[in-house]
Amino acid sequence: MSDPLDALEKSISTLRRAIRDASAAGDTERAGELRMQLRRAERAWDALVDADEPATAPPHPVPAAAPAAQGSQLPAREHVHRALMLLGTPAAPKLIVGVHEAFFPGELSASKLSSLRRDEERSYRSSPGARPYYLCPALAHDLLTPVRALITISTWTLDQRVIGPLSPRVDFLTSAIRIAEAVRTSAESTAGGPGPEALRLLWRFAVNIPDALPRSVAGHEGAMDPQQVIDAAGAELDVHADADRAARAEAARRARKSLKDDQQLFGAPAQGVTYLRTARA
Amino acid sequence: MNAPVDERLAALRGSAKRLDYNARSLAALQNNPRCTLRALLDASGSDKAAIAAHAGHPSPFGQSVFALARGNAFETMVKDNGCAELVRVLRETLQLTLPEVGYEDLNNVGGDGRAAVRHDRTAQVLLQAARGDGDGTLFDHPMLRLRVGGHEAFLEPDLVAFRIDGRFHIVEIKSFPILDGQADPTQVRAATTQACAYIIALRDLLARAGIDGQAVSDTVVLVAPKDFTNRPTAAFVDARKQVAALSRQLSRIERIGDLVDLVPEGLTFDLDLDEEQRPRRPAGELTASLDRVLVTYRPDCLNHCEMAFYCRSRARAEASLDVLGPVVREQFGGIDTTTMVMGLAHGELQPSEAQSEMADALRHAARLRAELEGLGGAA
Repeated sequence: MSDPLDALEKSISTLRRAIRDASAAGDTERAGELRMQLRRAERAWDALVDADEPATAPPHPVPAAAPAAQGSQLPAREHVHRALMLLGTPAAPKLIVGVHEAFFPGELSASKLSSLRRDEERSYRSSPGARPYYLCPALAHDLLTPVRALITISTWTLDQRVIGPLSPRVDFLTSAIRIAEAVRTSAESTAGGPGPEALRLLWRFAVNIPDALPRSVAGHEGAMDPQQVIDAAGAELDVHADADRAARAEAARRARKSLKDDQQLFGAPAQGVTYLRTARA
Repeated sequence: MNAPVDERLAALRGSAKRLDYNARSLAALQNNPRCTLRALLDASGSDKAAIAAHAGHPSPFGQSVFALARGNAFETMVKDNGCAELVRVLRETLQLTLPEVGYEDLNNVGGDGRAAVRHDRTAQVLLQAARGDGDGTLFDHPMLRLRVGGHEAFLEPDLVAFRIDGRFHIVEIKSFPILDGQADPTQVRAATTQACAYIIALRDLLARAGIDGQAVSDTVVLVAPKDFTNRPTAAFVDARKQVAALSRQLSRIERIGDLVDLVPEGLTFDLDLDEEQRPRRPAGELTASLDRVLVTYRPDCLNHCEMAFYCRSRARAEASLDVLGPVVREQFGGIDTTTMVMGLAHGELQPSEAQSEMADALRHAARLRAELEGLGGAA
């Protein structure tokens, strides 16, 4: 859970340095703009620290736990945020709902998600930075346009939010590891162990990862071991990770250079426009 | 195709907007190449569904929302989470190696879903892969283009998989089950027919860039639910023969001129639509026009042609043996109608020399049947 926090802390300190430079140079307009970005980053950091707690200890069957009772009252975007923080990768609405049902209380439906995405963008455009985080689409690595089906959180780094050719698989494996960890944690921390939805979710991931399920006679699903899933996913992840990281970093660099703030969050509008802007930059 | 033929075809279509060939009309072409009516309607780009409906034989075909929803749901399931299920299945069948998981979504280009834009992007991405650049292995819904009878048709396979040893494979995702390694042959055939058009279109795309057609495999990968579960499995289907057949049919479309010459002057299938897309032409007049063109009805037309219900009722009205399917039809070489068959069987008609052998067989069959009926009555 610490990766996005680390990245945020880094960007906060970079911003502070930039503000100092800008005020030293007497560029008040630029300093003001940077200050706003800093405030946004700090708010995001606060939100992230708060959101981390339920994710590290999924409150699934905790009997009469206060956070669980509160959890069901949260607005949909908080639910989505929490599920995404657990996964740590861009995710499709269906997977978000799946994770939510497996680990968190309360209701969340896929149809709610689609309206949510529109609201987020509208809210950002009417007052940028007013919320600690926004739910925004992932960006395609080549055209930097929004990838429709994948949701991310604005506080993640661009590297995390860009989708390269290998990223769907890398994200799949990463989510598998995160889900396996969550299942393991809830097995250790709660009396009832992980719920059936959580196990089914993990199983759906594990069957599609080589060697993630114990080689036994068919029908022995109970034998699934989260640690084995983590190891198997990690092994395949090693194969793709470097190439994927390079592609994402390159695309993120391009995005930072050629896109405006809002476009870095919600994607370049149409391909023609991106080309023009890249050409001019 | 020469201009006068194009003009004649445009006259057949009339005022309506031209419809291009699609995977379905190509399948119809391959399954029933001899049907004149189908050939004329498809070549002229007429709206077969609207014509059939106005002629009083609307086709409920292709409208089953349940089948469509089921097909789409299965495809989504297979492609969920970065094609997780599909990657597993393809690793098992195509022996994809671990690093081959690159995924390119060609469903739209930066939110732009227009066919031409998507085709350009597809060409760019696939050619790049063919030349060995990029990490692409799975290409989701590429947009291919095929020239049929002088007109462009856009085709959209479910998926193209690229294996590193240099061949593209068309992957068809279908929701009918493969039970114990066996699937319904008609449905497999329909799926392969569709895939053939994709193979030809993809080869065409590569050929335009000077890449040999051998880069596209003749073998189609069929992904379908395994047994009675919802989990996908894959099977290879050899499409070599069907690809050859379809290529031949496509080259023969150019000869549509010969067919057009046989059509009476002034014939048209125009519905004369008003502003609200309602046909103004009297249905009787349209049917009269349709009746002047030869049809070759076969029961399996119901699977792929919108006009099938019209043709069936026409074949029934003529008491044609076509209604009973090619197996029965071929038994009665030279005899066309059920009335004639019955007449010969009951000895009411005098068989010609060519028919005498058949007539003997029929009379024998009629005798046997009468005897059996007599027995049944006694018991």
